[in-house]
Amino acid sequence: MTRLFPLEGEKKHAELQEMAAETAKKFEALEAQASRLMGVFIAAGYEAVAPAMIQPAGVYLDAIGEALRARTYVFTDPGGDELCLRPDLTVPTCRLYLERNGTNTAEARYCYNGAAFRFQPQGADKAHPREFRQAGIESFGVLDACEADAETLITILEALEAAGLDDYRLRLGDLGLFDAILKTVAMPERWRQRLKHHFWHPEAFRAELGRLATAPGDLMGGIPDELARLIDPASPAEAEQAVARYLEIAGIEAIGVRSVAEITANLLSRSADARAEPLSATAAGLIESYLAVAGPALKAGSAIKDVVRAEGVDIADALIAYQRRLSLLSNAGIDLARAEFSAEFGRTLEYYTGFVFEIVVPKLGVSSPVAGGGRYDGLMKGVGAAIDIPAVGAAIHTERLLAAVDGVAS
Amino acid sequence: MSERLIFAVPSKGRLMEQTAEALSKAGLVLRKTGDERGYRGEVAGIENVEVAYISSSEIAWYLKIGRAHLGVTGEDLVREQMPDADQRVRFLKPLGFGFADVVVAVPASWLDVRSMSDLDQISGSFRREHGRAMRVATKYMNLTRRFFASKGIADYRIVESLGATEGTPLAGTADLIVDITTTGSTLKANGLRILEDGVILKSEANLIASNGAPWSDATRRAAERLVSALGG
Repeated sequence: MTRLFPLEGEKKHAELQEMAAETAKKFEALEAQASRLMGVFIAAGYEAVAPAMIQPAGVYLDAIGEALRARTYVFTDPGGDELCLRPDLTVPTCRLYLERNGTNTAEARYCYNGAAFRFQPQGADKAHPREFRQAGIESFGVLDACEADAETLITILEALEAAGLDDYRLRLGDLGLFDAILKTVAMPERWRQRLKHHFWHPEAFRAELGRLATAPGDLMGGIPDELARLIDPASPAEAEQAVARYLEIAGIEAIGVRSVAEITANLLSRSADARAEPLSATAAGLIESYLAVAGPALKAGSAIKDVVRAEGVDIADALIAYQRRLSLLSNAGIDLARAEFSAEFGRTLEYYTGFVFEIVVPKLGVSSPVAGGGRYDGLMKGVGAAIDIPAVGAAIHTERLLAAVDGVAS
Repeated sequence: MSERLIFAVPSKGRLMEQTAEALSKAGLVLRKTGDERGYRGEVAGIENVEVAYISSSEIAWYLKIGRAHLGVTGEDLVREQMPDADQRVRFLKPLGFGFADVVVAVPASWLDVRSMSDLDQISGSFRREHGRAMRVATKYMNLTRRFFASKGIADYRIVESLGATEGTPLAGTADLIVDITTTGSTLKANGLRILEDGVILKSEANLIASNGAPWSDATRRAAERLVSALGG
């Protein structure tokens, strides 16, 4: 028999992991730090707000998706409503802005300090607490995006320095540059949508890029030949009849909300994609070389310029925005020698749409940034706004900050 | 700490019969102790074993928290209840019954959706067309979430369904389902089709050991006798 049962003394999976008992000393240290952070935010013109801890789960699920449940305390209250303990303060602050402003998209700047809650599937520990405090700022409706981006980072750094942090590095990214690259490359609009959709999932993105560049015809793969032949983008009405006939002959009843027309429309657009010329090797190469750009932030602009110039593509506006943001930062006295750019950075944070940043300290490593944020112009619509509202914000992980400046917390 | 090995077996239905059959084939005879309608028993010829008859989904829970040392239940139920199943339990032996595939099935009329990536591709247009995310009915909320995440699908909502899940797309309460199937005939009867790469888990009943149970020399010896009788 080869199986071994657990040996005596072998570490048992802790069923009820001890909730970290917060000492009064640590509590006081965090409170004192929070008031310094909030002091900087308020002096910079951010209004202090205190959104509710319990939030409707549906808003988060709509804005972030079902994956949220894997890391959030979602529960049903005795009245049957699905609620959650807020996993961050950004979405509640967006909701607060919408409640106050209705359809008016006035400029507003808010700051907060409060608890957020995350389920830790591998068990909670000091590096992965289930309850932690975030201090942050959010700015809504500011039309000059570069200005608002820079102001956000400057304010966060000022707050971190006020709390005693001096040894840190900056990680920067800009999803706007990727958008600009995608816009300039010649391809059907739907392909752009496909690539954008997969951007957050690098493996799927590579597979999609490869397919568009070599065999877009595969897009009709899996559709029975006798049906695929009848789906011609030039004659959509016939295609719909062909789909209806195919279902009838196969004895398939159309159930659910997707009508035959909707299914046909999708088949037609896939058929059009399948008939299109493959993405050129240069275009695919450009996208790949852009995504490989990484290095000092001050040199990234010219590195990207080199990549696009080699392919004869023009993304001047996005590059000007990138450089302008950097000069706003350096004019404010930020040492950009500490900043690194990576085109891939921000790829795992699904709601960001533009500038993204993280502040890391050697003591805690890159996987535990002390602060992070970015631009999220699409999120407001996700939480119920009728139109996109420009938004940028950032939050400080206050327990980590305290640990980084050698406070009581660890 | 109990010196008796707690062996959890299904308390009712087909799974109970098949478990008893598999054990008796291995020469292990289960006997109820006390009242015939009670839920306690023993294994003839092996000391220090207490048989607990409980429902199969509860067996997964017992193994998770270490209330049972050994148990017989479906892998699907264990993996659903424990994202970290491989740390918490050991699958000692597949038992050759209780076969069930956990699958993603969509209306057969969705001719444009053959694979998980097709499903991902329509999620955007579905939202635009119907003003909401696709709804997935299932009792396997965790397996579904993990599988969809591994396929990069984010824009959907789970609707918890504790029975007659196959009927929900026809009834209109969900658009697609994640459920168990053995032959696929119930799915077909409800106008559904399994996606080509939509098999989340091929499950069967297993003999399973809990890592969190209070193991001692006595319980370990009892477990070894049980497992070797079953050929594990």
